[in-house]
Amino acid sequence: MKRHLAWWGERALLVLVSVIVLFPIAWMFLTAFKRPRDAYSLSLDFSPTLQNFVTVFADPWNLGDMVLNSVIVATVTVLIAVPCASLAAYSFSRFRVRGRKFLFFLILSTQFIPAVVIVLPFFLMFRTLGLLDTRLALIVVNLAIVTPFVIWMIKGFIDAIPTDSEEAAMIDGASRLRVIKDIVLPMAAPGILTSSIFCFILTWNEFLFALILTRRDAVTLPVGLVSFRTERGDLWELMSAAGVMITVPIFIMALLIQKHFTRGMTAGAVK
Amino acid sequence: MLPYWLLIPAFVIVLATTIYPLAYSFVTSFREWDLTKQRRPDGFVGFDNYLHAASESGFQNSLWVTTIFVVTSVALTLVIAMSLALLLRRKGRMHTFTRIVLILPFAMSPALIGVSYRFMFNPEFGVLAKGLGAVFPALEGMPWLADPNLAMAILVLTDVWHWAPYMTFMCLGGLASIPRETEEAARIDGASYLRIFFGIILPQMKGVLLVTAVLKTIFALKMFDQVVTLTGGGPGTSTETLAFFVFNVGFKWYDMGYASALAWILTAIMMLISIWYVRMLLSDRKMATA
Repeated sequence: MKRHLAWWGERALLVLVSVIVLFPIAWMFLTAFKRPRDAYSLSLDFSPTLQNFVTVFADPWNLGDMVLNSVIVATVTVLIAVPCASLAAYSFSRFRVRGRKFLFFLILSTQFIPAVVIVLPFFLMFRTLGLLDTRLALIVVNLAIVTPFVIWMIKGFIDAIPTDSEEAAMIDGASRLRVIKDIVLPMAAPGILTSSIFCFILTWNEFLFALILTRRDAVTLPVGLVSFRTERGDLWELMSAAGVMITVPIFIMALLIQKHFTRGMTAGAVK
Repeated sequence: MLPYWLLIPAFVIVLATTIYPLAYSFVTSFREWDLTKQRRPDGFVGFDNYLHAASESGFQNSLWVTTIFVVTSVALTLVIAMSLALLLRRKGRMHTFTRIVLILPFAMSPALIGVSYRFMFNPEFGVLAKGLGAVFPALEGMPWLADPNLAMAILVLTDVWHWAPYMTFMCLGGLASIPRETEEAARIDGASYLRIFFGIILPQMKGVLLVTAVLKTIFALKMFDQVVTLTGGGPGTSTETLAFFVFNVGFKWYDMGYASALAWILTAIMMLISIWYVRMLLSDRKMATA
């Protein structure tokens, strides 16, 4: 009987945890499909509408431009950071070169520099160069945050790959670059993909840089949220619709690689 | 030479995007530069900017706010993450489902988390404000975000909601790596669950929990987005964290010299913590391989 109670208690706790996590997300999704007057009532009895999505994509909100900015900035950042980081991660993982410890230490430490320190000089520099409010500026600063993180993560994945087949291929006369391309890359692919998605999520959700470096042309989705705070008050139903646009692509990505995802979270720190 | 060539692309990026700006703001922190008056920085003023920080109430307030925020959010996150990890460690369909659900908060934009909690705690039509008021009559009509203490509590709540799931996965990873035999033996001998936890599990989780605590401390020191979208630093200055204060000095008042000095104070705090962290990680690994 006592065991029975514990069994039910555990299930009840699991349900409670899921509800606490899912509720804010579910409420935002519901609000996104409500008419303005329903958004201010707590009733679940409303006729759903797509009007909010039509409104946010139309003038003056133009959410489409922000989606495009976010997609371009996040994609290009990933495409630059991940290949460079993979090579560095391989080098850190496989070679015992001089100064390796110091260099790795340096890279790890930069991960902990507050973003506000980095953005200050870049703001001044971009202002001089006339690059404020451009996607290029955002990509450059995002690389600062993302690159050390990705090196660390991919190194964790490469460390887990046994070196036997690499050594065998080298004995057979294959060059190191060949080995990287034909043996290491395919084996590290799931790890590199996971790291790419982490990197994409970080850049996609990045707020501080975009808030400071963009005004109108290069505004990304998270900063776009703030623009729904108007003189008429906060337009919650439109904010929610924009929120759905921010979260859906990320949730799909995270869930697609769910298994690797949880492993990736622990790879760097716990191993 | 190959090992070095492989490192070069990544190092060029890291040098250009972090080391250079750090050096630049370090130099700026010793100059006077009011962006509203001058296009270029004025002469050097020594430690004036740092001395100004020591005597200014806005900075002292932000230090205090940051301390409260970091301590409560780190403590809560750790306790919740460890408990959830213990709960989720067993196999089962509902366990798997909950684990998948826990991926979502980490993937959600922090700015959006701030916005949605602001919506839910609106005293007039917020679902949590109304719902809590209905369940606990004492909470009926609370001003929530308009009250300094409650605003801080909600800020901590959003941060814990965002990070506890991620930290749960780290704890799960740690739990998976400790052998179960001692625990099973103790259970068969009739030891209580609490005794098993404090006597067997916790000592073996020490390393992982330490890493989690330091990581979370750094994330909490960096936390910025929700301050902007949830409280705006208010009411008054009650939720103005150090990161938010630096932002205000730099990009509302355009005082670049002072902002750089403040940013460097924040960096110094984080550097000390991360140096300690990396040291600990390296020595931990040494112990593991020895």
